Amino acid sequence: MIDAPGLNAPPLAPDKAAAAFKAWMRRLVTDTAELAAFDAGEIDAVMDRETMSALMMPEAQTALHDSSRIVLSAFDALPAEVCVLDAKGIVVLTSRAWRVSGAAHARAGLDVRAGENIFDACTDAPENERVHATAVAAGLRKILSGMQQSLRVRYACPSRRARRVFTLTMAATSAQGAVNVLLSREWHSEPKLIGKIDGGTAAKAAEIASAACAGAENRLLAALPAKDYAQLASGLESMSLTHGETLCEPGEPVRHVYFPNDCLVSLLTVVESDRALEVGLVGREGMIGASLALGVTRSSVRALVQGTGTAMKMDAKRFLREFRRSQALQRVLLQFTDSLMVQISQTAACNRFHLVEARLARSLLMTAERMRSAEFRLTHEFLAAMLGVRRVGVTVAAVALQRRGFIRYRRGNITIVDRQGLETACCPCYRHLRVTNGETG
Amino acid sequence: MASKRKKKVAAKEAVTTVVVMRLYIAGRAPNSVKAIANLEAICRQHLKDSYKLEIVDVCEHPRRALDDGILVTPSLAKLSPTPGAHVIGNLSDTHSVLAALGVHLAPAT
Repeated sequence: MIDAPGLNAPPLAPDKAAAAFKAWMRRLVTDTAELAAFDAGEIDAVMDRETMSALMMPEAQTALHDSSRIVLSAFDALPAEVCVLDAKGIVVLTSRAWRVSGAAHARAGLDVRAGENIFDACTDAPENERVHATAVAAGLRKILSGMQQSLRVRYACPSRRARRVFTLTMAATSAQGAVNVLLSREWHSEPKLIGKIDGGTAAKAAEIASAACAGAENRLLAALPAKDYAQLASGLESMSLTHGETLCEPGEPVRHVYFPNDCLVSLLTVVESDRALEVGLVGREGMIGASLALGVTRSSVRALVQGTGTAMKMDAKRFLREFRRSQALQRVLLQFTDSLMVQISQTAACNRFHLVEARLARSLLMTAERMRSAEFRLTHEFLAAMLGVRRVGVTVAAVALQRRGFIRYRRGNITIVDRQGLETACCPCYRHLRVTNGETG
Repeated sequence: MASKRKKKVAAKEAVTTVVVMRLYIAGRAPNSVKAIANLEAICRQHLKDSYKLEIVDVCEHPRRALDDGILVTPSLAKLSPTPGAHVIGNLSDTHSVLAALGVHLAPAT
């Protein structure tokens, strides 16, 4: 495979051409039996949509050989730093820019070469990059499993002279069952460093920060002006949160704040040591640790990760400094705190007055909106804590919703089959909360 | 007695169901010629007269093959009864062809 920096795309060796042809065929045929027929040499012709004709076998192979060379050399010449991974995470192709930049940055920050496995690179990442590498690996797994089409992760790799930051965009490029991932790497210089250099570079940094801000999945971060986001960005770390993880306990000091991207966090009020009731649900529209904005440094609730995903994490002290400095951040956070209070009070009233089935329907819809997926995992224990009922009550309500054809529930995996139907089964609180939070779902 | 009668009716129905197939071939290419011969033998032996076979030469009618979603030839498509099925190759594996066509061999044969 092409791997030397600055090298022109060489013609494919005959065995590589045959392998490329086979890979292409593998994408065309989905059944192993069909592929076996191809391997056994039982194929006479391949249909070509471009020329609307049948290409007879030896010519078909030569035609693909030529076209794949064109594609490969075009890919190699791309100005962007891109590489393609196969379904196992092995690098299949890299662009020249990717290789040159890898050499220039002394292979810092997940610089993988053709034939290497990116998951191994994530595991072997240096200690100070580990959190980013974990987020990248989690993101890749999501894309490869089909849960998500694309994802952006900010990755910082500290070096002796300066912190180098890049955004890694991962996108699925699937064709008939075979999933590939296209990685694209954009380097940013640290906004803080650039501000000191000159106006031109500062403008460029602002532009980069604004692009990064627009790409921020968390709504609070995305709502900030580019300048404020750039200030905040250097203190943000991308990380993955897994189902069942506790971010803070009641009475404990808030050490970190979290801005969820696509994970979901339950806020639970703990009544006795083993009894808890969900009072709020926070996803990409909010943050965990907003009480800091009100001057409260100890958490009053338990924050429990309900849906696995990624989030941006920030040190509480740094967050407070930024909060005092940025008016935009203050405004955004106060608005969020208000909507969270509405959610908490509405949930309290809902828990008292509405039937379990209607409350379950509301919880499921709220979860689906925040997870941005009609399919998610919620165990009986979790649902019982969310609704403040016993597990039996959850079962009865879930079975009722399933019987009405709104959801499918199997071993904790929930799929919303009929969203509109489920909305009709909800209590009015759902609509009220939706209007209040201005959610679009 | 009743169950025996039922079985007879079922067997009769199975025989009278007409299997409609389309075979896509590429001119006189070796695998295409083999596919036609193999399929004709299978039909003679297992389907008697209860089948309809259309042979499409993709060299002459490429557009038709593309419209039908055919990517490689030889390729056999079972159109009815549903579910449809596809077999790719020179159809030398009689068992897989019969399985695709939904014809189940009696254990005795």
